Amino acid sequence: PNARLHFLVPAPAARPRSLPLRLQLGSARQSGASRGRARAPAAKLRPLGLAAGLPLPPGRPRPASPAGWQSLLSFTILFLAWLAGFSSRLFAVIRFESIIHEFDPWFNYRSTHHLASHGFYEFLNWFDERAWYPLGRIVGGTVYPGLMVTAGLIHWILNMLNITVHIRDVCVFLAPIFSGLTSISTFLLTRELWNQGAGLLAACFIAIVPGYISRSVAGSFDNEGIAIFALQFTYYLWVKSVKTGSVSWTICCCLSYFYMVSAWGGYVFIINLIPLHVFVLLLMQRYSKRVYIAYSTFYIVGLILSMQIPFVGFQPIRTSEHMAAAGVFALIQAYAFLQYLRDRLTKQEFQTLFFLGVSLAAGAVFLSVIYLTYTGEWHQGWKYAKIHIPIIASVSEHQPTTWVSFFFDLHILVCTFPAGLWFCIKNINDERVFVALYAISAVYFAGVMVRLMLTLTPVVCMLSAIAFSNVFEHYLGDDLKRENPPVEDSLGPNIKSIVTMLMLMLLMMFAVHCTWVTSNAYSSPSIVLASYNHDGTRNILDDFREAYYWLRQNTDEHARVMSWWDYGYQIAGMANRTTLVDNNTWNNSHIALVGKAMSSNETAAYKIMRSLDVDYVLIIFGGVIGYSGDDINKFLWMVRIAEGEHPKDIRESDYFTPQGEFRVDKAGSPTLLNCLMYKMSYYRFGEMQLDFRTPPGFDRTRNAEIGNKDIKFKHLEEAFTSEHWLVRIYKVKQLQNRETLDHKPRVTNILSKQKYLSKKVGSQGNYPTKVGSGLSGRW
Amino acid sequence: MAAPRSEAAAAGPSPRGGSASRPRRGRWRWGLAGASCALLLPPLLLLLCAPPSVAQKKKENLLAEKVEQLMDWSVRRSVIRMNGDKFRRFVKAPPRNYSVVVMFTALQPQRQCSVCRQANEEYQVLANSWRYSSVFSNKLFFSVVDYDEGADVFQQLNMNSAPTFMHFPPKGKPKRADTFDLQRIGFAAEQLAKWIADRTDVHIRVFRPPNYSGTIALALLISLVGGLLYLRRNNLEFIYNKTGWAMASLCVVFAMTSGQMWNHIRGPPYAHKNPQNGQVSYIHGSSQAQFVAESHIILLLNAAITMGMVLLNEAATSKGDVGKRRIICLVGLGLVVFFFSFLLSIFRSKYHGYPYSFLIK
Repeated sequence: PNARLHFLVPAPAARPRSLPLRLQLGSARQSGASRGRARAPAAKLRPLGLAAGLPLPPGRPRPASPAGWQSLLSFTILFLAWLAGFSSRLFAVIRFESIIHEFDPWFNYRSTHHLASHGFYEFLNWFDERAWYPLGRIVGGTVYPGLMVTAGLIHWILNMLNITVHIRDVCVFLAPIFSGLTSISTFLLTRELWNQGAGLLAACFIAIVPGYISRSVAGSFDNEGIAIFALQFTYYLWVKSVKTGSVSWTICCCLSYFYMVSAWGGYVFIINLIPLHVFVLLLMQRYSKRVYIAYSTFYIVGLILSMQIPFVGFQPIRTSEHMAAAGVFALIQAYAFLQYLRDRLTKQEFQTLFFLGVSLAAGAVFLSVIYLTYTGEWHQGWKYAKIHIPIIASVSEHQPTTWVSFFFDLHILVCTFPAGLWFCIKNINDERVFVALYAISAVYFAGVMVRLMLTLTPVVCMLSAIAFSNVFEHYLGDDLKRENPPVEDSLGPNIKSIVTMLMLMLLMMFAVHCTWVTSNAYSSPSIVLASYNHDGTRNILDDFREAYYWLRQNTDEHARVMSWWDYGYQIAGMANRTTLVDNNTWNNSHIALVGKAMSSNETAAYKIMRSLDVDYVLIIFGGVIGYSGDDINKFLWMVRIAEGEHPKDIRESDYFTPQGEFRVDKAGSPTLLNCLMYKMSYYRFGEMQLDFRTPPGFDRTRNAEIGNKDIKFKHLEEAFTSEHWLVRIYKVKQLQNRETLDHKPRVTNILSKQKYLSKKVGSQGNYPTKVGSGLSGRW
Repeated sequence: MAAPRSEAAAAGPSPRGGSASRPRRGRWRWGLAGASCALLLPPLLLLLCAPPSVAQKKKENLLAEKVEQLMDWSVRRSVIRMNGDKFRRFVKAPPRNYSVVVMFTALQPQRQCSVCRQANEEYQVLANSWRYSSVFSNKLFFSVVDYDEGADVFQQLNMNSAPTFMHFPPKGKPKRADTFDLQRIGFAAEQLAKWIADRTDVHIRVFRPPNYSGTIALALLISLVGGLLYLRRNNLEFIYNKTGWAMASLCVVFAMTSGQMWNHIRGPPYAHKNPQNGQVSYIHGSSQAQFVAESHIILLLNAAITMGMVLLNEAATSKGDVGKRRIICLVGLGLVVFFFSFLLSIFRSKYHGYPYSFLIK
């Protein structure tokens, strides 16, 4: 009820958002109609402000009309936040087309397609023989199926209603639609934590904040797109169940948690944060029956539900990252039992002493588990990965975060959310303990790994919204119309309006920044490239799809394509051909074998390729257009990964010049200049002069004239090269029909006899076997 | 300086009486060797008439002696310190059936070689792993030549940089790959072990002595806090001080959002000094990296903006003199607006092509 009394707040909350909303919509090239709609809440502010100004004695039931206005306004703002969030995620669709982006989404799309066309049970049992040839992959048991099931369900329902939508469109627009749901659940959670105004601000922030948009633009069909919604909704239901102590809220929380487990591996964050919350509540002596009911129910039901996901299986009772939850469960049972005993028994002092000892011991156990889990695995795990597994270090997402990334993804929110944290801790209660813990743990993980910025973003939005809402609450609105006008204490209307105006300007800059970042950094599908000419016209480079489509149309259905693992999902999804390795990097030795083939010379590579039944080799080459993400630039990782498994055959130092440089020109190491990857990339490139100012064979990506222009293949032949040479496909030749002999054949006198014979027979030449037929023909 | 001398003195066949069992075993073995020599003497005399075989025998004897000597040293100390003479006798001179890995270094304090010290630590870890492993044998020895004890060795090998790791194979001269590529691979014990496995087929599993310093520090901290709590047990109000807790949380948040974790993992320089004109730049030009000084600046800016927000709230809620509150309010606003525009301008200078700015270009 406390939160409801702040009904003045939605009005200030609405005003800052109405500006960004309009900008968002305008930038997404929406029609004038939606602009008109965006202006609507601003117009409605006035009546609310008046209604809010009515003096209300506390304790009396509120008149119906402000509450009605209030909910209508909230509803409108949330709807507009959804709309703005949805529209600003459409840059890629408007610029290119409705297409699945990047790498992992292609696998998700392919699985969803399988689910939609073969049914749910077939999907769970799906053994994909087209991946990881010759091993195959059990897809049903190695994915989080939530994403596919969600998209498949929406597709099924729409088709039931006779709305015929292609499954691809469902997949493309799933993440933008879920961003609206994320806004709503963030609103609900923030409302529980602070008040409604902060909730609306938070909903608007998260709708457009780049840290979340980066994973949820249209076409980015990935787990995170729906998982952030599940995360926020689970937290909302958890806070609700701690507040009420009702089993039904907790069961809802468990169901939401189940959805989260089915959607993303990040559920581990929830199953550690909630126990941490309970533990800290116990430490702060904020234990209550509500907490006991909520946590006991959540732990048991959540555990059983999470174990229903095939990919998770028995992990929740085996692995160390789930142990903290079990420890806290035991602790809270012991604590509750002691509370019960203390109520019954009389020896007060003995009791307290006993309970202190037990809780300290249990706390120590819990802390050690936490310590081992976090410092041992998250932080050390990164260091371990850096040294030992090049495949993990080679993924750019697994890097620590600079301040620039924080600012880029969160802008003003990153500087203001500590203020929100400050207010929460100063006015602490059960659920604000939760948000403080959420903020501190998420900010730590985001600092360690740049991709975990995603889990930080929601809490930053909430706390920032609390900070801004606090300011607007005090500075926006008229003192005279307040409940008990504090005239003599007032700061004066001038200062108030200056503060309000500057704050609104900052928020406006935030909205502009978000749009700019979304448009420039996060809206590239990466399988269709665009380049801009000097006059601003755009060239679309569609080489990837061109090449994949060529494979689909011109090769045998069961042809096996070797490529570096980055392109595995795309080949499977777009070309529908068998791949050796893909982005699910579960088998390091298989990847190392492919890396070895790429970095050996042609003869050695041919042996490996024969043993792997390779028919085609696909590589990405950016030297013609200056595309820096090509295989030559990734080549050292291939060498490193190959060296990890085959240290006798591949040595990284062989690929450097004596000075320790990696060069593709004449000064480059001979091993590099003769390895398969180099030869395939630069085959016939030496004949090509791109520019009159540069010599033939000038690589634009590395700005060097290549060192080996005379490349000939013995066991491979060029099969396809795309328009801008971005993708090159080579066919692996079959073994030659007849082995050529090393030595000269032994000279015998048979030949002369044949000659003699043939002369005798006539003009049949020297083919003794045909003599008979020739004769018969003549007869 | 004293250590190698004493070792050289103790290297003779009569070891000093030690408390540990190791020297005794050595003595026993030496005794045995002496006895076997005595037993072998008559046949040796008999065999004098067959010169080639005697030469062979002599060579074998020499070899056995060398191996015994080396084993004795390495049992006592996992890395054998060598001077010029010892190096020539045990590492360079021909009858060998063992590999020697030599670290050429300069550990004397006056040389001021900090890399040498780090490399030496790693080398000791590796040598100890070998010394106490189950496959420890006389096939591989670790030794070290310090520049101040064997400068002639450095000259002989034409070596002018330290530290350098070299492997001397049992037969023949060291090849190019027998010199460890320190520049590229670094000197981690694991990398050294990999290189040795590559050169000698001896696989050493590096066993690092567990680092208890973190645990001890944590235990100390906990006991300190516990002691403090115990001493002030009559007045525990300060635990419930929300301001303290809020401060602590904000510290964590500021440290993370200003990229201190990045600094911790990547170890960038504090600032960059241009060697040409001596100008010091505190801000890294690229958005992919940062200096330590830069992250501290950002930390302060973030803290100032947060403080501005808090002050704005304070000004509106506190009960007090209106004029004072107005000043607080304006200061808070100034902090937020000014420092945010400053932050934005730094961001803009790093992120090329960013179009927006506010107050400050």
